[in-house]
Amino acid sequence: MGLNIWPAVSPQVLTHKTTLDKTLMTELLTPNRLIVRIAAAFLILLVVMFACSLIGTERVSLKAVFAGGADEAAVNPDYEIFVRVRVPRILLGAIVGAALACSGVVFQALLRNPLADPYILGISSGAGLGAMITVVCGFNWTFFGRSPIAVFAFAGALGTVWLVWFIGRLTGKFHLTGLLLAGVVVNAFFSAVIMFLTSVARSDEVYATIFWLMGNMAEEDFLVLWMTAGCVAAGIAALFYLGPQLNALSFGEEDARSIGVNTGRTRAAAFAIAALMTAVAVSISGLIGFVGLIVPHAVRLVFGPDHRQLLPLSAVAGAIFLVAADTLARIVVAPAQLPVGVVTAIVGGPFFLLLLIRYSRRIGWSK
Amino acid sequence: MVEMSGIIEVENVSFGYTPKSTVLEDITFTVAPGTFLAIAGPNGAGKTTLLNLLCAAATPRTGRIMVDAAPVESYSTEALAERIAVVRQGFMPVFGFSVVETVMMARTRRFGAMGFESKADREIVNEALDLTDTAQFASRPIGSLSGGERQRVFIARALAQETDVLLLDEPTNFLDLKHQVGIYDLLKAAQLDKGKTVITVTHDINLATQYCAQTLLLGTDGNSLFGPVAEVLSGENIEKVFAVPVFAGRVGKGKYFIPLGKFARDKT
Repeated sequence: MGLNIWPAVSPQVLTHKTTLDKTLMTELLTPNRLIVRIAAAFLILLVVMFACSLIGTERVSLKAVFAGGADEAAVNPDYEIFVRVRVPRILLGAIVGAALACSGVVFQALLRNPLADPYILGISSGAGLGAMITVVCGFNWTFFGRSPIAVFAFAGALGTVWLVWFIGRLTGKFHLTGLLLAGVVVNAFFSAVIMFLTSVARSDEVYATIFWLMGNMAEEDFLVLWMTAGCVAAGIAALFYLGPQLNALSFGEEDARSIGVNTGRTRAAAFAIAALMTAVAVSISGLIGFVGLIVPHAVRLVFGPDHRQLLPLSAVAGAIFLVAADTLARIVVAPAQLPVGVVTAIVGGPFFLLLLIRYSRRIGWSK
Repeated sequence: MVEMSGIIEVENVSFGYTPKSTVLEDITFTVAPGTFLAIAGPNGAGKTTLLNLLCAAATPRTGRIMVDAAPVESYSTEALAERIAVVRQGFMPVFGFSVVETVMMARTRRFGAMGFESKADREIVNEALDLTDTAQFASRPIGSLSGGERQRVFIARALAQETDVLLLDEPTNFLDLKHQVGIYDLLKAAQLDKGKTVITVTHDINLATQYCAQTLLLGTDGNSLFGPVAEVLSGENIEKVFAVPVFAGRVGKGKYFIPLGKFARDKT
């Protein structure tokens, strides 16, 4: 038909095609490959959790744990420490780590900004303000067994993120810079209010909040753990289904639309899920920094930017990282404990820089 | 073999970014299936704006745009992506996707329930990489490619979308002569072999005269000319619309234009 610009089917083209098929096979993510990688990462997580449950100021003998019953807990300290102290705390670390790393991935994708983390749109300062208000007002009721700090932090986090989203919409529907600036300014404003409350509050009140602001992991009862684990697992599963759409969104709003992605729906869903997951995590553990920033980058540097893989692997890697960091926080200055946020930054920072130097030449950052 | 769809009708379309300003005024033209149309005109004449209107990224102030006999805004995002593929200027992802991953994204709306491509999708991508000669660097991150290579990757993605219409915004920007011609060869082949309607915004009127059948020449004063290339792109029209003296000459059957600056040696 007419002018034939590229060569018609010739032996040369055919051989070209077969080699190409091979490259495609090795380059693209396949479901099998993904399942194997997730399973391997999960196995590592289980090993780390198990090892960390044996580490601590008190030596715990597994034999004694399994020998002892729950009825006579008082006479079996090993069982008591292992089941009521260590295991819940390790589970908490895993849940929070997975939630933060996963929302970090989402915020980086939605804002198309490598500097984004789960706190960038005001969740941290909103939650902090909620916690501060509880302490300063001296509330001491409980809500389904939860301290009012958690409830107020959760409400503050979601309220703030909604406010930022709303202001961002006013600056224009798809203006990421507007949204980002709204987040930064609201963050700065609420932080100033927190500072103000800190200066006028009594010092013993302040101490409790400062510990919370640095990220505070404490033993939780199993009901709370299962509830949050359910929320976070559902969130990760939902985000996984948005993976291909998030990939397209990395190329920008208009480009994603032109290949048939309903960007408005994707953006709103991913944003809501990530904000909820972060608010849940923050309300039970305070502000643990760094996990949501470096874990997504570390996984991306090693395994590439495909969100179908990045989301689940980041979740597991975030869990591993936070469980390990919290174990360090428990033992480094034992019998006292460090806020886990200190450990994540001190250990995570150098580790991340090593990865960055080692891998970034390979991936070619956008110019 | 070639399906007769890919008709675009633009009827009395006007557009402005603010209520008081007008970029496009009363534009009317029809693009028949399998036509190669160039949209030319000086900076600020509204070429890219018109492209955005054609793919529903913007809504006209007045008038309407029909794609295959239905208003463009009546299509869902997914349905429009079945008909129109767009290659924009210099879009880069923040994170380093590889060439083959980028091209595969054209198939996103056809992915299975678990979010993975089918064997058919792989074959389509395979062919698109082959046609655009991008298979050789299929595994490289697109951030590491040269401008010409990257442009070919995005054209490959548009081809893998399997649409009747290709819209391109200055696809030869920043490319050297060889790569400019290469891109146009590719588009011409897509038109001739696949029956695609190709609409490209361009600054290069010489390439447009060589490759395109029809031209829409937009002026900054709101006037526009639409018709066969040979009629619309004349020395006289170009001088008027671009406000620069032009030498128009022939080499064999081809017509060529050379703009003449103040210091041109052979100023007429």
